[in-house]
Amino acid sequence: MKHKLIVSILAASSALFITGCGDNKKPTGATAASGATSGGTVGGVALALNYPPELIEGTPKAMNVPNLVQPPDKDPVFLVPKEAVLLSKDKKVTGSDDNPIIGDLKLITDGDKQAGEGYFVELLEGPQWVQIDLEKSAAVNAVCVWHYHSQKRAYKGVVIQVSDDPKFAATATTTIYNNDYENVTKLGKGSDNPYVESRFGLIADGKGAKGRYVRLYSNGNTSNEMNHYIEVEVYGVPQ
Amino acid sequence: MINRRDFLAKTAAGAGAGLVLGTPGLLSAASTGSPSNKLNVALIGHGKQGQVLFESMKNIPGLHFQAVCDIWEYNRKIAVGHVRALQKHTPKDYENIEDLLANEKGLDAAVIATPDFWHSPHTVKCLEAGLNVYCEKMMSNTIDGARAMVKAMEKSGKLCQIGHQRRSNPRYRFTLDQLINGNKICGQIVNANAQWNRAVKSSQNIAYAEKLTIKQDILTKYGFKDMHQFMNWRFFRDLSGGAISDLGAHQIDIFNWFLGAVPKSVYATGGNSYFTQREHFDNVMALFDYDTPQGQVRAFYQVLTTTSSGGGYWESFMGTEGTIKISENSATTEIFKEASPAPKDPNAPKDPNEKASSLSWDNLVQRGFLGRKAAPVVAPVAGGVTDSRVSAPPEGFSLPGELNKPPHQPHLENFFASVRGEAKLNCDARHAFLSEAPIYFVNPSALSKQPIVFTPEQLSV
Repeated sequence: MKHKLIVSILAASSALFITGCGDNKKPTGATAASGATSGGTVGGVALALNYPPELIEGTPKAMNVPNLVQPPDKDPVFLVPKEAVLLSKDKKVTGSDDNPIIGDLKLITDGDKQAGEGYFVELLEGPQWVQIDLEKSAAVNAVCVWHYHSQKRAYKGVVIQVSDDPKFAATATTTIYNNDYENVTKLGKGSDNPYVESRFGLIADGKGAKGRYVRLYSNGNTSNEMNHYIEVEVYGVPQ
Repeated sequence: MINRRDFLAKTAAGAGAGLVLGTPGLLSAASTGSPSNKLNVALIGHGKQGQVLFESMKNIPGLHFQAVCDIWEYNRKIAVGHVRALQKHTPKDYENIEDLLANEKGLDAAVIATPDFWHSPHTVKCLEAGLNVYCEKMMSNTIDGARAMVKAMEKSGKLCQIGHQRRSNPRYRFTLDQLINGNKICGQIVNANAQWNRAVKSSQNIAYAEKLTIKQDILTKYGFKDMHQFMNWRFFRDLSGGAISDLGAHQIDIFNWFLGAVPKSVYATGGNSYFTQREHFDNVMALFDYDTPQGQVRAFYQVLTTTSSGGGYWESFMGTEGTIKISENSATTEIFKEASPAPKDPNAPKDPNEKASSLSWDNLVQRGFLGRKAAPVVAPVAGGVTDSRVSAPPEGFSLPGELNKPPHQPHLENFFASVRGEAKLNCDARHAFLSEAPIYFVNPSALSKQPIVFTPEQLSV
């Protein structure tokens, strides 16, 4: 290991201070996600999500990311077309890390959103992605993501894309959510705000984007460098 | 996607900042040595806390994780996966520590994060096998178990660091060395107060998928009645000391460390206000009496797993001239200057280390020892009459920096630097015992509803 960590004491005048300590925001509503209090398809019906019970463990870690959105305190209301259905249940999942540290990619679409041991898959650190094959192209209205909710933490570099191309060529891909404010995924800086994981997960507005495949990126989290998924649910209208 | 080599290069470039704390040359945690000075490490226990420690060791150069041990196959898989991801080497994994110690050659150290009732047996075995040991606190679920660890350390001549990680936290060391002792900004410390309050929702049973249940014969072999007890051993009297041990031990250790004394008595109360089916209390309150070189100090500690009221976890040292409220969470750290400095008590015992009373808080701010917060708002007084019941609001200050690495990392760095002979342990088993010993009497005091005045024998190895 080449890198060297030194506990250094710096003169106050030149001290490097850590700033941007969770510039907390209340839920904004709109398109986004955890904290969406409304949004989705105008004139649609409320998406009926089955939220897991809350279960928090251990001592919370500092979340040093800017513009952090806090979780909602009640079930978010998100509207989808009345024809929209759950498309992703038990569908095949692949990923950039095909040898997860713990768990299996199948857990991502098995329908179980519980916190606790045995319900999540852990992927290597750094930017990683998972991809769900819906088997048929669909108009995607909502992508709901539970990364890990037994500890308050925020996942970094979260990007969600929809495409009919399994390779996700840029010209054939729609990005429906992007909070990668550092552009670590090299997919372009995002304007969505990082959010605190909770049992409510993230609801990303698909806005009817067409595609057979849904790909989700992340780049570690505020507690450790690994990437986790408990469950992803894709709702939309089959084409 | 980034690969491991790129990732290491990236993190190395940004690693130098480490700690950020003002004031020149006041603190130094030992260098962790060169990467070529490899240490072979065994991970004993890779549950939640073991994983926290592993995260804290990932950026310490020169560590080679040679073997892992956990009775739960699921935890072993996580440990193997974490090590494989870090060092491209798949460590040998063991269910049983005896097998690990018998088969693994060339180990330098063991990092133990097993349930409390296994700390002492595991530590003693590792020390007797010639390994240096970093063991999580509480040392043991029994005071005799803790005594055995001290004896094993001293008999083996190996190092044994106990995981009171605040002892190596530069913020805490700076606060004690420079603010409390060096510049005596508290004046005479007369009281201390600390708490760790957690909401009910953060104190639930730990859940697991049924398919991961450990076979009953293995659970029984290792002292667990069933899988629920294995997952939630902290709630059981035979397996742990409960909340006063899990959470309180960290902070009562700070009382003893900062006051430079051990208490002469404890009077505690506790009960099960919410989690009525748990063996251990879900809330405990304890009063400790100290005789310090400065005079008497009374310290109050509460651990509540039933409410987050009161702002989480912190320790407060209240003095005649100022108060320092410190926490691992920098957002909770606050320093207050009394509006009216206390006149000197002519009958107070003379402190040979006392500085001339030329303390200037402004000077400390200018020199970077303190940050300054906004001036306090003085509430208007009706009719211009001063309310004699209320002291003037204190002026607020802050510590000048914060740690930007995992809170356990400096303590582990200190351990491994000590193994390399480059530093001295900040919390060896003997010193940890001196600080932990009174904690073993909190639950007995609460259960008997009686104060306990310590005898020298009770607090000695």
